[in-house]
Amino acid sequence: MIPNPPKWADRFLQWYCRPELLEDLQGDLYEVFTHIVSIKGERRASWIYIWLVFRSIRPSAIKINVKVKNSIFMQSKINLKVAFRVLKKDRTNTIINLLGLTIGISCFILLGLYVKQELSYDHFHSKKDRIYRSWLKEDYGEGKIFFNANTPLRFEALFEENFPEIERSVQITKFDFLTGKGENKLQEEVAVISPDFLQVFDFKLIAGNTEFPIPTRNDLLISERFATKYFGTENPVGKPFYLSIGPELREFTVTALMEDISDESSVQFDLAISSANDSELYGDQVRQAWFTIVPETYILVKEQSAIQTVEAGMQDVVMSYLEGEVERDVYQIGFQPLTDIHLNPDIPLGFAPVGNPEYVSILGFIGLLVLIIACINYTTLSAGQSIKRSKEVGVRKVMGAPRKGLMGQYLTESILMSQIAMLLGTVIAVLLIPTFNMLTGVTLTYTFHWWHIGPYISIGLFIGLLAGAYPALVISGFKTVSILRGSLQTVGGISVRKGLVVVQFLMTVFLLSTTLIMKKQVSYLKNADLGFNFEAVISTQLPTNPEAQRMSQQITAGMENGALLKSRLEQFPEISGIARGSHVFGTNGWTGLAYTDDKGVFRRFRLLVVDDDYLDAFGIEMVDGRGFDAQNGMDQRQSVVLNETAARYFDLEQPVGAKLPGNDFGEHRIIGVTKDFHFTSLHSEIEPLVIVQNIIPIARGISDSDIGDTLVPKLVFTYSGSNLARGTEILKKEWETLFPNESWNFEFINEKLQDQYQGEIRMNRLISVATILSIIIASLGLLGLIMSVANAKLKEIGIRKVMGASAGAIFKLLSKGFVWQLLLAIALSVPLTLWLMNNWLENFAYRTDIGLGLFVISAVLSVLVAGLVILYHTLRAIRVNPIKSLRVE
Amino acid sequence: MKGEHIGELEELVLLTVGALDREAYAVLIMEEIKNNSTRNMDVTAIHSVLRRLEKKGFVASEMGGATAERGGRRKRYFKLTQAGRKVLDETMNLRMSLYAKLPKLTFSTLS
Repeated sequence: MIPNPPKWADRFLQWYCRPELLEDLQGDLYEVFTHIVSIKGERRASWIYIWLVFRSIRPSAIKINVKVKNSIFMQSKINLKVAFRVLKKDRTNTIINLLGLTIGISCFILLGLYVKQELSYDHFHSKKDRIYRSWLKEDYGEGKIFFNANTPLRFEALFEENFPEIERSVQITKFDFLTGKGENKLQEEVAVISPDFLQVFDFKLIAGNTEFPIPTRNDLLISERFATKYFGTENPVGKPFYLSIGPELREFTVTALMEDISDESSVQFDLAISSANDSELYGDQVRQAWFTIVPETYILVKEQSAIQTVEAGMQDVVMSYLEGEVERDVYQIGFQPLTDIHLNPDIPLGFAPVGNPEYVSILGFIGLLVLIIACINYTTLSAGQSIKRSKEVGVRKVMGAPRKGLMGQYLTESILMSQIAMLLGTVIAVLLIPTFNMLTGVTLTYTFHWWHIGPYISIGLFIGLLAGAYPALVISGFKTVSILRGSLQTVGGISVRKGLVVVQFLMTVFLLSTTLIMKKQVSYLKNADLGFNFEAVISTQLPTNPEAQRMSQQITAGMENGALLKSRLEQFPEISGIARGSHVFGTNGWTGLAYTDDKGVFRRFRLLVVDDDYLDAFGIEMVDGRGFDAQNGMDQRQSVVLNETAARYFDLEQPVGAKLPGNDFGEHRIIGVTKDFHFTSLHSEIEPLVIVQNIIPIARGISDSDIGDTLVPKLVFTYSGSNLARGTEILKKEWETLFPNESWNFEFINEKLQDQYQGEIRMNRLISVATILSIIIASLGLLGLIMSVANAKLKEIGIRKVMGASAGAIFKLLSKGFVWQLLLAIALSVPLTLWLMNNWLENFAYRTDIGLGLFVISAVLSVLVAGLVILYHTLRAIRVNPIKSLRVE
Repeated sequence: MKGEHIGELEELVLLTVGALDREAYAVLIMEEIKNNSTRNMDVTAIHSVLRRLEKKGFVASEMGGATAERGGRRKRYFKLTQAGRKVLDETMNLRMSLYAKLPKLTFSTLS
């Protein structure tokens, strides 16, 4: 029997090969096959045959399918050529189109970059999917809940010892230490991290011990920017670095240099020492405690393990330690993915601030909106221009062009346009990043990678298809006979175009109203009557005494230092209202205290420790009783002032002279009630506040505390001179004479207050930019549309002018139709805006009314812009000599 | 001008087609090249080159009679066209004229 080559290979060859080439090619391959069979055997020959069949796949041999040949792809070359010519021929239109698309794309890319930055926080760690941060929630029922992202110190060992699923557990704590020895001490934030911290997180070490950066308790890790700050250009590795820890001056050795941590990281530090120092930083009690929270604890789960297994076993492990102390499910430990930290406001703050996911999605949505406006722009403009193309379409159709082919032609045009716009838009966006950052206060960066080209081209393709689909449909649908008979084709689907214009206006008016409402709320936040004076008030964190250990001692030491500074500042006539207090305005996190009162109700309140001048210095008004009196010794020891909310909260009908409802408080008496003032940002409601001069009677009665901002007193004063910088200079000079070993610091209260609304201000700016751009795009669209209307009515205008029509009449003629669209768009935008803005305003406990006034403003503004565009074109149309327009055939 | 240029492999195949005179078909051309030079080629490459040459008009082809050893399939025989002959002549002339210009004392100048 004669051996045959594999059948499937033969069939494959027959499938792809051109029929006229098949016979001899297949014959030749057979010949070679038979030849090889005789030398090397059938098996070998079969392999070679298959190989040859595949080797024969060459463009010249492949059968070309007729359908493929006539498809858009094969025709794209000629289409592209025609598209270029068309775009070149009609310059004005091309430029308007291109401009609209480019602006839209730039805006989309900038907002997109911002959204991407927010979403990619902490994504640079290679093990990011296995890293979790633990939280602790103590839930005693009846709203007595303590929920924190900071954890007890013993969690690190707890996780590592009890859960085989956990590969590593590491902790980070932050301290403020004075650096340097002798003079020129600076206060810096120092992180205390587990020695294997960098085995979990990918922070890049560039010099020194890159494997184990801080092997012993005397080693120190420093970031590049701090290395430059402290050592200049010298190599910092091996150099000594001094830190004052408590009363002791310790010498550390720099053992590793780390690349600066990127802004897009929730874990931030510039100096770090090993947690081997814990025994010195905390007492034994704290290190073993279950209810004292200090560090953030991160875990790295093993590759094959799931976090759910750890969570499921957690209560059993907890109960094995705390049996008898708490009931089951009271002491809950949970985990949150590292990449979830930045945009999850439901978990309490750790060391890093958290973004608002709502703002991110709103901005993403707005970026998309501007892009859609730009696409609609292109659609209406090209559909409007289609009248010019009718003859071309007619001729093409007579020559036998199929509808699909025509659509391919017009889609090629729009895709070409969108690719050019994509390129221009990207370049412009990248160039505008610094301006954009400056305008909006964000910190965008952009680095180009080659793989970006793929997404860019596909986005361009998508935009082109989206924007070009409708005009392609309209143009290719023209009826051949009527075109060639010479009658001008009425532009198909005028109602669709009008609808699109309404949508475009709707979006623009919506953006405009949104911006205005946000502006109103932001300015309300900035200008609201907070209930105290803050203009030109400077605050400074007072130094305490290194020996002071207990909180009350630290407060006393701070107050005493404050008194020294106060007596020196008093001699300057331009300084007034000098006062000391444990907290100042513009900082959230005033000390929160809690206790169970005599009726068994769990109560929380905020505490402010002040001197006798504080309330007067800030101009806080009293509604009942009196404030603190400097001459009154009782006031210093036991007098208490409440705010109105606290008086209501404690159910005190006659607050003055009464006591706080609780059994364990020391001797105290309420002497007055202040008018409510906003000591936290306007996002949250005013909480009950207890103001004292002496903390001890209150401290005795409380069971729980939550100290965000330190209780160590600050000194505030009002500077009435013209130059605020002079005020800080006075402070600096006096400070340096009094406390030569301490770094001086200051803050302006009004700046701190503004900072509380950074997120809102930034978002408002971002949206303003988007709004302005969308107005520009929409007016470009309107311009193009009116141009096409004017072209269609060329003769009519000419005849009217000959008959003596005035400019006003022609303006009316052109604007007819658009007015209704605009009004409809405005009417439709109101409910949309109201709904979205009411949602947003719910973020604030104190908010402005939306009011109809803003809608009127945005309506008038958009009508004005539209009117200007129409006016511009009317003027152009009027200037044309009617002879010219009437002579057009 | 573009069509008149041929590559080195094309030239080799074209020469072989001419040399085999009316007997030339892909497998034989391949064998001939193998025998006359050290080049090892496979038949698909020869096919590809032949198609290119035919498109440029340097060779012409016609189908021959059926043979049993190829599963009854006919062979495609190639022959040199006028244009093919001309382009071979030109290539040869160019080579010869350039070769003639080589200095006679090449070896001594090299050493």
